[in-house]
Amino acid sequence: MKPISKETFTRFQSLLALVVMVVALSFASEQFLTVPNLRNILLQISVNLCLSIGMTLIILTGGINLSVGAILGLSGAVAAGLLKNGLALKFAGVQMQFTPLGAIFAGICVGLALGWFNGMGITRFKLPPFVATLGMLSIGRGLTMLWTNGFPVTALGSKFGFIGAGFWLGVPTAIWISAALVALFYFISIHTTLGRYIYAVGGSEKAAAFARLNVNNIKVWVYTLGGGLAAVAGLILTARLDAADPKAGLGYELDSIAAVVIGGTSLSGGRGSILGTVLGCLIIGVLNNGLVLMEVSPFWQQVIKGFVILAAVAMDKLGSKTE
Amino acid sequence: MRWSGWLIAVAVVASLCWLFPLFHIVPLERAAKEKAAATFDPKAFAEKFWGEQLLTSLDKAVKAEVLLPAIQSNAAEAKRKFSRSVGVSESYTYFISGKGRVMAVSDDEVSLAATEGATNVEISLQVGLLFSNAVRDGTGLLSVNDYPNSQDFNAISEALNRIIEERVLPKLRKTAKVGAMISFVGCAEVNDEFTDLKPLKVIPLKTEAK
Repeated sequence: MKPISKETFTRFQSLLALVVMVVALSFASEQFLTVPNLRNILLQISVNLCLSIGMTLIILTGGINLSVGAILGLSGAVAAGLLKNGLALKFAGVQMQFTPLGAIFAGICVGLALGWFNGMGITRFKLPPFVATLGMLSIGRGLTMLWTNGFPVTALGSKFGFIGAGFWLGVPTAIWISAALVALFYFISIHTTLGRYIYAVGGSEKAAAFARLNVNNIKVWVYTLGGGLAAVAGLILTARLDAADPKAGLGYELDSIAAVVIGGTSLSGGRGSILGTVLGCLIIGVLNNGLVLMEVSPFWQQVIKGFVILAAVAMDKLGSKTE
Repeated sequence: MRWSGWLIAVAVVASLCWLFPLFHIVPLERAAKEKAAATFDPKAFAEKFWGEQLLTSLDKAVKAEVLLPAIQSNAAEAKRKFSRSVGVSESYTYFISGKGRVMAVSDDEVSLAATEGATNVEISLQVGLLFSNAVRDGTGLLSVNDYPNSQDFNAISEALNRIIEERVLPKLRKTAKVGAMISFVGCAEVNDEFTDLKPLKVIPLKTEAK
C-alpha cells in the first residue's frame, strides 16, 4: 500500500482535522450529532462564512481586511435604521420610507462603498492593507455609533427577519444565502478571469504587473466585494437578532481571518481556495459548539481557539518552507 | 446596438423598481403621524389593562390556604399545578389571594401569617419600590408572543408596577398595623426557591383591612 505523501496530507489536513473533531465530539457528547445541533452549527457559521469568503479573496491577493466586523455593524445598522425610521429629507418636506428590499439594498451599498474606500486607500494612496483597514475599522465603528446614537435599533418586522430567521424547505434562509454565495464565489475564483487574476496578483504582484494586469483595479474589486459580503453578513445577523446592535461584529475579523487560515489559504497570498475556507468556518463552528457542549469555560474557549489558529499558521509556514 | 442595450437595461431596472419598490415617498407630517400611531404606549396600555382586565380577573387567583400548604408539602408539584412561566424562563409566578394577620411591618414589606393557626410569616406583601415582572406574568392574561418587541413587553411590566406603587401601596402602608387582618390579591415571582418561597413575596394588586 502506497504511503500518504506529505503533499496529500497538507492538502487534506483541514478536512482531516474536521473529521477527527466530528468523530471525537460524537463520542464526547450525545447532543452533538443531532439534526437540531448540526443545523445550529450551520446557522452559527453562516455569518462568518459570508465574511470569510470576502476575506479569502483579499488574502489571496496578499492583503488583509481588519474592518469586516465594523462594515458588518454599520451595514446592519444602516439597513435597520432606514427600515425602522426612514430617511427624512427636510429640505423637500418628505420622508423616504424604505421597504425591506430597499433597506437590504442600502445596507449592501454601504458595505460596497466602504470596501471600495479600502481598495482606493490601498491602491491609490499606497497605504499598507493593515493600516488602511484598521483606519476603516475605527471609521466604521464611529459611524455606527453616530447613526444609532449608541442604541440598538429593534423590532424590524418579519419580512426583513426572513433573511436571518426564516426557513425555506426546512432549512434556515441564512444557510441558503451563505451556500449560494459559496457557490457563486467558488465559480468566480476558479472559472472566471477575475478569479485567475486574483491568484496571479497574490502569487507575484510584480509578475502580474509585467503581464499587464491592472493590479490596482483587481485589488479595488476584491476589497469592494469583501465589503459587500461583510454587509450581507451584517444583514443576516441583524435579521436573525431582529435588532441592529451598535457593537455587532466586534472581533469578527479575527474569526474570519482564522477561518481563512485554518482553511489552508496562505497569508502571503496566491494559495488557497473558497472550499478550504468553508472547511475553516466549519472547524471553527464545530470547535465553538463542541466546547460549549462540553461545558468548557468561555475563557478557556478563547485560549483553545487561539492555539488552533497558531497551529494552523505554523502548519502553513512549515508547508511553505517544504515547498 | 450599444444604445439599445443601455435602453433595455434601464427599462429592466425601472420595471424591477416599479414591481419591487425600494422606498415610498411620504410627506413629513404624515410620516410623523404614522410613527406616533405605531409607537407603543406602555402607560396607556397598562392603564387600560389594569382597569379592564386585571381588576376584573382577581377571582381567578389561587387561595392562599390551598397554595401555601401545597408548596409546603411538595414545592415541585405546587409549581406544576399552580404556577405560570414565560417562555423558557426558569423563574415562575403565582397568582394568589387570601387574608392574614399582620405580624410585622417595615418600609419594604408587610409580613402576614395567612393560614389557620400559623405563627410564622408565610406571606410578605411588598410595599417598597417594585422591579419584578410578577404582575405582568402572574395572571396569565398577557402572552409574550403578542409582543415581538421585548422592550415593549418589559415596559408593560414597569408601567404596571408604577400603577401599583401609586394606587395600591400607599393605602396598604396606612392600614397595615401589627395585629390587623388584611385580605389581599397579588402575584409572586419565584426566582430562587430557597429565598422566595419562605415567605412568599407577593406584590399586592388589591388589599383591604378587616
